[in-house]
Amino acid sequence: MGKFKKTLAEREQILAYKLLFPSFLIMLLIAAYPLFNVFYTSFTNKRFASTVKTKVIGLKNYQKLLSVTIKKLENENQSSREVLPKKPIRYKELKRFNIGNTHYVIGASDPDFLISVGNTIYFTLWSVLLELIIGLIIALVVNSNFKGKGPMRAIMLVPWAVITVVSARIWEWMFKANRTGLFNTVISNLGLGDGQASFLTDQALQLPAIIAVDVWKTAPFMALLLLAGLQTIPTSLYEAARVDGAGPIRQFFSITLPLLKPTIAVALIFRTLDALRAFDVFQVLLADRRYSMASYNYTQLIKYKNMGMASAIGVIIFIIIFGFAIGYIKFLGVDAND
Amino acid sequence: MINKETKKFLNKLLLYILVIFIAFYMLFPFWWAVVSSFKNEAQLQMVPATFLPRDPVTNKIFFDLKNYRSIFNDGTFLRGLLNSTIVATSVTLLALAVGSFSAFALGKLRFKGKNASLYIILAMTMFPQVTVLTGLYAVINALRLPAMASMILSYMLFTLPFTTWVLTSFFKELPVELMQSAQVDGATPFQSFKYILLPLTAPALVTTGLLAFIAAWNEYLFALTFTSIEPSARTIPVAIALFTGAVSRQEPFGEIMAAAVIVTIPIIILVLYFQKRIVAGLTAGAVKG
Repeated sequence: MGKFKKTLAEREQILAYKLLFPSFLIMLLIAAYPLFNVFYTSFTNKRFASTVKTKVIGLKNYQKLLSVTIKKLENENQSSREVLPKKPIRYKELKRFNIGNTHYVIGASDPDFLISVGNTIYFTLWSVLLELIIGLIIALVVNSNFKGKGPMRAIMLVPWAVITVVSARIWEWMFKANRTGLFNTVISNLGLGDGQASFLTDQALQLPAIIAVDVWKTAPFMALLLLAGLQTIPTSLYEAARVDGAGPIRQFFSITLPLLKPTIAVALIFRTLDALRAFDVFQVLLADRRYSMASYNYTQLIKYKNMGMASAIGVIIFIIIFGFAIGYIKFLGVDAND
Repeated sequence: MINKETKKFLNKLLLYILVIFIAFYMLFPFWWAVVSSFKNEAQLQMVPATFLPRDPVTNKIFFDLKNYRSIFNDGTFLRGLLNSTIVATSVTLLALAVGSFSAFALGKLRFKGKNASLYIILAMTMFPQVTVLTGLYAVINALRLPAMASMILSYMLFTLPFTTWVLTSFFKELPVELMQSAQVDGATPFQSFKYILLPLTAPALVTTGLLAFIAAWNEYLFALTFTSIEPSARTIPVAIALFTGAVSRQEPFGEIMAAAVIVTIPIIILVLYFQKRIVAGLTAGAVKG
């Protein structure tokens, strides 16, 4: 009996490897070299589409991207150029702050990159949170019984079905800074403003605007995944809960939410990964006015031809994404072995 | 104290209000695209914007079909639709097939290196597309693949991890007893996968398939790169992005909106067709038995 069990386990293991083989073959074919290439290039000064000879320069790209320093200012109005070091790398002002009456300036050798990291993380946290809430509400509504739920399930996917680049253009068109745009027309019709709000150039409105676009666009993705998760919860559990006298809110927190956790975890991971790599929306709507990590990466590669630098940005994005993914996996407990 | 009937009625009312609210939220930008697609240049520039296409002079409702005529007269648009259909369908089928194999192994079988495999598959999709583009281009060139095949393979970078992870979580949810009882009946693990577990995940397969299909249908950057020397293989996002206005240097917003409407319709039909499968509720019965 013991021997039989062991061979069964062995056979299971072999079957598992056989089943994983196609995935790993595809990965080896298309992912291995490009990913290795990114790591290697990030340590060089390689130029994009150029004949200049490539040299290995070690960690210089990373140093350029990540160097930060804090200096004391003599007074509030002092120019940061007087205090920030210029050698071996030049620092530019990132932000000022004060503790008590002492003023400080934070300098960075590439403030645009650090700002893009901040933009992306702010964008990611807000859009994923809002998508989760809206997606969950939509999934719960669509999962309940009512007339016309078939068409409703198609309607709910429309935003996700509109091509990303095109949906960014639709919103760009709605965001127009005068009353040819939908929002400004509505705002002025309601008497809430002068109809001149420039959503895409006003610093304070840029990120909220882009979060609104992304939430609209991808809440359906979340909703559909969560709907599929809701489907796997046996209805008998709800019947039992009802017999025990549990109300809908109690049912939601003690049945729906715990059983939906694995689906929520997977949906969160993929949405967060996507949001941290957000490119299309930023590039189309804000271009050079405000960067996400990925659109800054694109700018470095295409506009400045700094391929080494762009690769280093790619690696940093990878590390940030990896950190988020591990955090989620540990926090939500979706490891394979449980 | 409200009686049961009123309470039921109020619940129903609340539900319908929510439904209408959600439908409005999901549709208003698309509705704006539809309205804009029926406007010509003069109508698009009217201040304030009109909620239905109107004639700038008489202010009467007037739908201009010129944008639709011009995209259908443009061969690249229809060609793009066909290309996108081929690419997205192949990507979906390949990712589902390969992904469900892996997901079964990761969700239901015991073997060494399980967590590592799960993470390696996920790590594939952690780099921004721009960064892997040059390396990927080199690989595609070395393999001498035509543009269509290049797109199908390279889209695996984001569809394969997604389908594998989602399906893994669904396979894990299926009760172990199902597989055990099949094995007692003499089925090999692969047979119990093929005949018992796979059909039970049909709703999950359709859901992930749809999401993967749309992601592939949407992809722009890889498509732009890989079709640069083979314009006949251009997919729909690339074709739309390369629209040039009839009037030079003017952005053809009306045409872009018309194209957006046309390419969204097939997806809506697809969803309507599959929506019953998405919510087949097959597993609910299986868990009990």
